[in-house]
Amino acid sequence: MKPFLLLLVVLMSCGAAGTAVHAQQPPLQPQEEFVPIDQLPPQDQLPAAPLLVAAYCFIVLALFGYLLSLARRLTTVQRELERLEGDVKRSGGA
Amino acid sequence: MFGQTVWLVLRKDFTIEVRSLEIAYTTLFFAISCVLVFAFALVQEGRAPEGGAAGILWIAIAFAGTLALGRTFERERQAETLRALLLAPAARPAVYVGKLLGIVVLLLAAELVLVPLVALLFQAPLFAHPVWLASILLTGTIGFAAVGTLFAAMLVRARSRDVLLPVLLYPITVPVIIAGVRATGALLQPEVDAGVLQVWLALLVCFDVVFVTLALWTFEPLMTD
Amino acid sequence: MPNWFLPAAAICGLMFATAPILIANAPYESTMGLVQKIFYVHLPAAWMFLLGGVLCGVASARYLFKGDPRQDRFAWACAELVVLFGALTLVTGPLWARKAWGVWWQWDVRLTSSLMGWMVAVAYLLLRKYGGPGSDKLAAGLALFGLANVPFIYISVNYWRTIHPLTTVVPTLPTSFGVPLWFSVATFVLLFVLLLRMRVRLEEQRARVDALYLSMDA
Repeated sequence: MKPFLLLLVVLMSCGAAGTAVHAQQPPLQPQEEFVPIDQLPPQDQLPAAPLLVAAYCFIVLALFGYLLSLARRLTTVQRELERLEGDVKRSGGA
Repeated sequence: MFGQTVWLVLRKDFTIEVRSLEIAYTTLFFAISCVLVFAFALVQEGRAPEGGAAGILWIAIAFAGTLALGRTFERERQAETLRALLLAPAARPAVYVGKLLGIVVLLLAAELVLVPLVALLFQAPLFAHPVWLASILLTGTIGFAAVGTLFAAMLVRARSRDVLLPVLLYPITVPVIIAGVRATGALLQPEVDAGVLQVWLALLVCFDVVFVTLALWTFEPLMTD
Repeated sequence: MPNWFLPAAAICGLMFATAPILIANAPYESTMGLVQKIFYVHLPAAWMFLLGGVLCGVASARYLFKGDPRQDRFAWACAELVVLFGALTLVTGPLWARKAWGVWWQWDVRLTSSLMGWMVAVAYLLLRKYGGPGSDKLAAGLALFGLANVPFIYISVNYWRTIHPLTTVVPTLPTSFGVPLWFSVATFVLLFVLLLRMRVRLEEQRARVDALYLSMDA
């Protein structure tokens, strides 16, 4: 359910951003500094949120997925190691 | 001694190849087919895409080069001559350089056919500045072949070597291909910007130096069991 | 697992939990607004991507020339983390770019060379998995060539015209941005060390299994 919702949000944001792109075409310069401001300009609020959410969700899911994969591989190897050590012990040492 | 070994390896490869010309013909035909496929795919209403010639030329060189590398070392593997070469009392880097030069000569021969073909099919004025073009092709080919020879040699005894060679080779040689395409593209402009061309050529030379140095350095430990 | 592992993991978890608070309280950037907050995960992920690449290359060189299998295990673990953090960078970057630059992707030097560096790491993992015996040395050779790419990725934005922010951004960062950023960086570094330790342990266990099989056949 959650991945489907996320996908839906990302797809909708693509559509929203597509129209937003036509409105904004500033001359693109590489930034040398980040400049802080306090209040968010109103036109920036909605289209950015899905992208932000998608980015953070991806980070969390990817890291969690990797941890799961690692844990799974570790337990597999651990089990095989214990099985082998049991075999070696039973056969009275190699 | 180093130069003698290089010459001997080169002559050996050349002699074997000249007997059947198998790799030369098949590589060449493959490169031509590649260019033709691009021509069929990209040409619309009888006109080629703008600036497409440079990219297509280099893609054809890259694909043909991968094929030639695979075939050359497959031949070595089947005859077990690579082991013989490594057992010989010759400096390993010299063996590497000998094989590298063999591949470079093969690819340059293919390019001799490819460049006129691309110029013809895509109406690209590739022969407007032949010296520049020759230097771009030479440096680019050396860069590509330097990494390719090393990887193909080290994959000789690996499993899945056929598919692993492009998998390993392309990400590393993409900078060389990009520089080659940009340099060739700059050459095809009506007004050639010598500054831009020199930057890309300098980059190509830089890649060549780095890759050949790295390859010479790692050939010995990589080929030792 | 060593004694420091569990406490460090607990601290890392806590830092991950508190980081969003710091990030949410940071001011908005003047030209990019809300979406700039991706910066606080994109930059640490990118730095871990590059760090992993450097460590993998150095360990590979040491393995290739000295033959110590521990270096090989370390290099393999680093390569996997390069793929992980590279994926994080290459996904969060375009999500940010879609709003900030108006395009998902740009074929400029940094993005292109980062993507190629990531693919070298993927190729490394494929080689280790499918290359058969002897692929440890071959992968080490590949990693060395990939290592040559890393400094190129980092400095590329300063020499070629690009819309990616330059490396001058971080040193000139105001404190209001700096605090959440460096907290994020510390979190990611700790995470990197923990994941590396776990992954190296996996290889050590695999090596023990292999040694046991060999001793049984003898």
